[in-house]
Amino acid sequence: MTREPRLFAVLGFQSTHDALDAETLLGDLGIDVVPIPAPKTIGSHCGIALRIELADEERSAAYLDTAGITVAARARIEDV
Amino acid sequence: MLPRPASPEPLPTIYLDHGATSWPKPPEVVAAVSQALTEYGGNPGRGAYRMAIATSRLIHESRRDVAAFLGVSDAHNLLFSPSCTEALNLVLRGLLKPGDRVVACSMEHNAVARPLFDLSQLGIEVVLVDADSTGTIIAEEVETAVNAAPTRAVVCQHASNLTGTIQPIADLADIAHAAGALMLVDGAQAGGHLSVNLASLGADAWACSGHKGLLGPQGVGVLHLASDCNPTPLVTGGTGGGSSADETAPLVRPDRYEAGTPNTPGIAGLGAAVRFLATHAEQLRAEERRLVRRLHEGILDLPGFSVLGPDPSVPRVPIVSIVHDSIDVDRLAFALDKRWGIATRAGLHCAPWAHRTVGTLDAGALRLGIGYANTTDDIDVALVALATLAQEGS
Repeated sequence: MTREPRLFAVLGFQSTHDALDAETLLGDLGIDVVPIPAPKTIGSHCGIALRIELADEERSAAYLDTAGITVAARARIEDV
Repeated sequence: MLPRPASPEPLPTIYLDHGATSWPKPPEVVAAVSQALTEYGGNPGRGAYRMAIATSRLIHESRRDVAAFLGVSDAHNLLFSPSCTEALNLVLRGLLKPGDRVVACSMEHNAVARPLFDLSQLGIEVVLVDADSTGTIIAEEVETAVNAAPTRAVVCQHASNLTGTIQPIADLADIAHAAGALMLVDGAQAGGHLSVNLASLGADAWACSGHKGLLGPQGVGVLHLASDCNPTPLVTGGTGGGSSADETAPLVRPDRYEAGTPNTPGIAGLGAAVRFLATHAEQLRAEERRLVRRLHEGILDLPGFSVLGPDPSVPRVPIVSIVHDSIDVDRLAFALDKRWGIATRAGLHCAPWAHRTVGTLDAGALRLGIGYANTTDDIDVALVALATLAQEGS
């Protein structure tokens, strides 16, 4: 029996500063945010990327855009 | 009563060299440095394991708090550097190109004077505007110099490390901008001692030591760059962010100007220091002003001594530099330390331009710098000591 891989959204940023600002802002919204090593698929924009639930991806990106934080890349990853 | 850590044995030190560096540091600063060394060992902005992320957060919080303390609305533009001197070198060498003209003030510290000399050898015209005998820059004279020819930048200290004079930076910024020039400021002696709001000051670049009036550890400087002020980076290298495969420095701030592993303990300590200042600064500044005036007026009553800079009624940063008409300043400094445990600074204070301006280039001066932990007793002991030396020396 195989387990269905669980997918998450990943947001990449231009700098650690932006990633940590985004972590704070999304956390304040009640979004579950986990800092992770930036996956190769988003390019090495920043050593840190943020993993969030797929269901939170669009509203997170929209909120960060409104807050002036550039989401430099997006990707999907499987849980580890 | 603010906490005052114990002085080291065997000789209690009355520390009056705050113009060079602050001591002792608030206990919160010492604790933050220690905590950074023991708990935040990851390399910030690089790895993404929990300790590295925690270290990144520590620096991020310090940046945010330093920015808020200095009135900077966008913390991306608040940069950490190894020193104020390196920050000033970044600004001057990164902005001025051969053929440019720069107007500088005659009170500048060597952190500005020496880079400007180097740049003058590369074809940059450096025009010096003399301060008056109190070390004060006259805005109208800067305006005349700026308008004499197309000018790339005006450079001026925020406050003098020799006379304590506070310069009219906002006026100079207006003059510079009206002529299309940049306003570049050495804020080394201003941060912490003055209420600084960089959002309204008008400086395109403002650099400061982290370890003087800001009360942080040595090894950290602060640089604020306006969002449209873009010097070429002085140092390039690894930043953690940006594409690791790209050989050019990232464009995004703060990474663009912070290549290399940062001084995490120092930055953590600086963050703790500005949080301390955010709570206590007004009280500390009022006390500094009171002690400066007590020292200044007390010295004016002593035979043979004179005080450089403005009258006691004029606000200054907490620096009182003096000369005696017959005792060399190095002898005064040595005797104060040896007999009373009073730490002062004799000589030219890395500011020969300033000494030339106020007429003390040959003899130097004795600088007494007051800081957050000084007391009325400290000042009174210093006055008694100076009176004794004057009596013995006459």
